[in-house]
Amino acid sequence: MNGKKSGVSRREFARQAVLVSAAGALKPFESVVSPESGARVDVPQEPPGAPKLSGESRAEADARYEAIIKQYGDRFSGDQKKDLRRLCYAQQPQLERLRAFAVQNDDSPALYLKPLVERDKKPAAVVPPRRAS
Amino acid sequence: MIGEELLYLTVTELAKRIEAKKLSPVQLTKAYLDRSEKLGPRFNAYARLTPEIAVQQAETAEKEINRGHYRGPLHGIPYAAKDLLAVRGIPTTWGAKPFAQQVFDHDATVIEHLRRTGAVLLGKAAMIELAGGMNYRFASASLQGETKNPWNATCWTCGSSSGSGAIVAAGMAGFAIGTETWGSIICPSAFCGTSGLRPTYGRVSRSGAMALSYSMDKIGPIARSAEDCARIFAAVAGHDFDDRSTLPIDKAAFTYSASMEITAKPLRIGWLTNAWKTLDKDVSRAVAAAEKVIRRYFTLKAARLPEGPFEEAAGVIISVEGAAAFRELIRSGRVSELADPLGQINGYVNEQISGADYIRALQVREILQQKMTALFDSVDVLVTASQPIVAPPLDTNLETGLSFPDPLGAIGNLCGLPALSVPCGFSEGNLPVGLQFVARAGNDAAVIRAARTFQQHTEWHRRRPKIPK
Repeated sequence: MNGKKSGVSRREFARQAVLVSAAGALKPFESVVSPESGARVDVPQEPPGAPKLSGESRAEADARYEAIIKQYGDRFSGDQKKDLRRLCYAQQPQLERLRAFAVQNDDSPALYLKPLVERDKKPAAVVPPRRAS
Repeated sequence: MIGEELLYLTVTELAKRIEAKKLSPVQLTKAYLDRSEKLGPRFNAYARLTPEIAVQQAETAEKEINRGHYRGPLHGIPYAAKDLLAVRGIPTTWGAKPFAQQVFDHDATVIEHLRRTGAVLLGKAAMIELAGGMNYRFASASLQGETKNPWNATCWTCGSSSGSGAIVAAGMAGFAIGTETWGSIICPSAFCGTSGLRPTYGRVSRSGAMALSYSMDKIGPIARSAEDCARIFAAVAGHDFDDRSTLPIDKAAFTYSASMEITAKPLRIGWLTNAWKTLDKDVSRAVAAAEKVIRRYFTLKAARLPEGPFEEAAGVIISVEGAAAFRELIRSGRVSELADPLGQINGYVNEQISGADYIRALQVREILQQKMTALFDSVDVLVTASQPIVAPPLDTNLETGLSFPDPLGAIGNLCGLPALSVPCGFSEGNLPVGLQFVARAGNDAAVIRAARTFQQHTEWHRRRPKIPK
């Protein structure tokens, strides 16, 4: 933990709290039975038109949405917030299919990175010699 | 007086007349400028015309040719460049309102190469804002508004090289330069009935071009034949010290001569059976007829693309690299000035993708490259429809209306493979159908050869739209 004091003022905290609660208002909750404990838990409802996701996936999609709202919330209209949340949900199956693809620890990523040492250096511009005056 | 017939000639045919001094580059340029001034606004095809540059370059070309200094097949040929390529002193808007006043003090390397060959810059082609880097829902996602298809002005050209496709299809220039990250040359070529080459990643310098996805952006020609694409590609390909992603000198450069094909060994064609889930009836009919033509001139066998989350990987890479490329636009909030409702907000969503997911996408890319290398051990060129549909109506919601899976587009662009789309027929409504050829990275010559052979035995690329006067 770093020893830096939180730089959030009381006013900023209040502003963020309003934004987070406004975000919350856009995502009504539904009560479902947890497969682990059997207890009923509240999870956010999927936005209209969004793919069906597991509770865990919904939580991840909503975390991304809330991160956007926390940082930029005052930029969006109500309709844009709904659309943002739908897009976060739509992105989730794509990420999960990608993560489910089997890769080994030593499968290198194709970065297209070409270290400078392998490349020819750009020749210096040819400067015409000065004429003697 | 230059008639419409001449404006629709291929670069190769125009060049023969120019070299023989039977066609004046100045007159040709003025004829294309007149047509562009008249038709450009009708189709929203240009971001701007550059008549001063065009006439001055044409006059220079004409003087040189008259003096006996003929530079080659692009000398005196008028062209348009997508408005994400920097041209010194001329606004380069990237198709987006936040960059409407942007002016560079240098030319993109591609523009420089074309100037050296003596080509004549007519203007900057309209495009989808930021080449679709923030995603878009409607064809109107552009500073110029929706680009209309010359074959049917109520239909779209596809994007993001929308103006480049329309300009060539409507006979407003000899050729155009487009770019592709995922589909932006192949799709407009298919919808507009033009021939478009997406070169191997790293063969054409992107210096001076807007970056959207650093590891996937490519620059290539849209023209009236595969042979034209080859000649234009030969002029712009090559290593560039100002673009470290370009391939080494011996791998980037491309030389073209039609006679090279005489001694080349026969191509093995793989006919893809799983590139599209379904094809529209008209597309299916045209592609089936094209298969018969190809079967006559090549060894043909069925081929299948590898299966995996390749569209997902391509999507994640473009999203993350795009969010990085336009980070300031997103963070400043100026992204809200974009025309498209999806473009205004999607960058925020893309910013949230984790680094671990991005690296996973790059790992998938590496595995895919190996799978594609293995596939290209048994075939030289893969062939399938360029798109499963013909040009959709202008008001189509692209988020839902064009949401079909495109594994070949994903694979080809993830792996930097060359592809060439040529027209192979028309729908009942007289909209073009495209056929695409894809080869191993670096084997651009194979797609050119296959497409050129197809065009030697068909006339689809000769058709031109009936544009009301």
